[in-house]
Amino acid sequence: MTRLLRFLETIGALFVFAGGVARATFTAPHYWAETLRLINVLVLRCIIPVSLAVAPVGAVISLQGIMIFKLFGAERMLSSFLGTAIFREYSPALASVMVAAQAGSSIAARIGTMKVRGQIDALAVMSVDPVRYVVVPGVIACVFVAPLLSILTNLLGVFSGWVFAVPIGGIDHGAFMENLTAQITPADLWIGLGKCAVFGLGVGLIAGYLGLNVGRGAADVGKAANDTVVSTIVLILLVDYAVSMVLLGAGL
Amino acid sequence: MGLISKLIEFVRFTLLALRLQFTTLPPRDILVTQTVDAGWGSLGLLTMLTIFAGLNLSVQSYGSFERFGGQDLLGMFAGIGGVRELYPVMAAVVCGARIGANLAASLANMKISEQIEALEVMAIDPMRHLVAPRLWAVTLSLPLLCGYADVIGLGASYVGAVWQLGLDGGSFITQVKEQVQLSDLLTGMFKGLVMGWLIAVISCFHGYTVAKRDGAEGVGIATNLAIVHGAVMCIVVNLLLSWMIYG
Repeated sequence: MTRLLRFLETIGALFVFAGGVARATFTAPHYWAETLRLINVLVLRCIIPVSLAVAPVGAVISLQGIMIFKLFGAERMLSSFLGTAIFREYSPALASVMVAAQAGSSIAARIGTMKVRGQIDALAVMSVDPVRYVVVPGVIACVFVAPLLSILTNLLGVFSGWVFAVPIGGIDHGAFMENLTAQITPADLWIGLGKCAVFGLGVGLIAGYLGLNVGRGAADVGKAANDTVVSTIVLILLVDYAVSMVLLGAGL
Repeated sequence: MGLISKLIEFVRFTLLALRLQFTTLPPRDILVTQTVDAGWGSLGLLTMLTIFAGLNLSVQSYGSFERFGGQDLLGMFAGIGGVRELYPVMAAVVCGARIGANLAASLANMKISEQIEALEVMAIDPMRHLVAPRLWAVTLSLPLLCGYADVIGLGASYVGAVWQLGLDGGSFITQVKEQVQLSDLLTGMFKGLVMGWLIAVISCFHGYTVAKRDGAEGVGIATNLAIVHGAVMCIVVNLLLSWMIYG
């Protein structure tokens, strides 16, 4: 019972925090230089892990998909399944999980370290709002970085799927490309990118909240980074499911 | 140069860890606490995530299959795709993130607060005392977590397909029974074994080799590296294993 209450208390505090972040985002002063620097840092830091994590997924879908589709003599259809699965589901979800693992945990660790060292309090003493200067740039950066990386991973996922379907799996290149372009619609791309932006927002908010509410010592910084990743993965799967149900209901 | 020397250091650490893992018995009480922490501690998180992943697998592939009228094959797809690939990888990535981050953070914290030196002073080998039991704990628990995720995930896929999408429940079960073999389950658990060992080695390495002068920041960096390298390694190794087994 007390655990449930504490959980609800955390959720409530998170909403209050999100409200504060929203107010700071849409009112002056903004620290655009810091935001751009952070976007740059995060893209450079995430690009390799995200690519390495998403590219094999296309290959695995092709590898297992060929066997399933061959049972029905429909291996030409593989690429349309691969395309929609990568663009709509796996690329956004996995790219965001890796952004959470790399960017989210490093943001939480950075803010947590600042808090432990008293730098956050120092900012407040200099009448710089820590939420404005430290949290908001991170949130904005995550919202932009996740979709950006997802565009890259869409291409990588489809390419690695192509490698395992055409040269290795022996499917005709023309049939692969034809089914791919016939089935992927612009809506698939926008849905994927939109999901990424929402997930990125979640990553930034949770990282900022857990970073600012870190405990007292070095071990707590590690714990904040860890908690960020775990709770963001939970959030991503949950939101993903809700979005899928809504889209299915809307017939998209 | 930094990368290469780091790699050499990693290989040396891995070889030492392997030798300790298979030549000496790990201290039993530490092994038990670590296994309970890694395995039992991950169950709640894994249950919640696998339920949503199973539901997602049904709901999302339904959309893709519907486009060419293949929605009746959902049971087969959810069975094969889930048991062979999705649930083992998810268990490894998610539990790996949780367990690996814990391992790295605790070892790094011991390192910067000089507890590891204190062990050495007492003539206790820290590698044998701290690293070996953690390796065994994760290697033993992850295959079991994979098997557990298969069961929960298949159940959730069934719920998604039958209750939410209105597909025929009997045909779903028949497809899963016909297509998912015991060997698929064992392959998934074997993947879990390999990925679990890799996660443990990578996280222990990052935690153990943190630079003492980095202080609190070093703990954060070690945790971050452990999570990211562990997750990437799981997904890449999963592809290689799938390719070797099914390719």
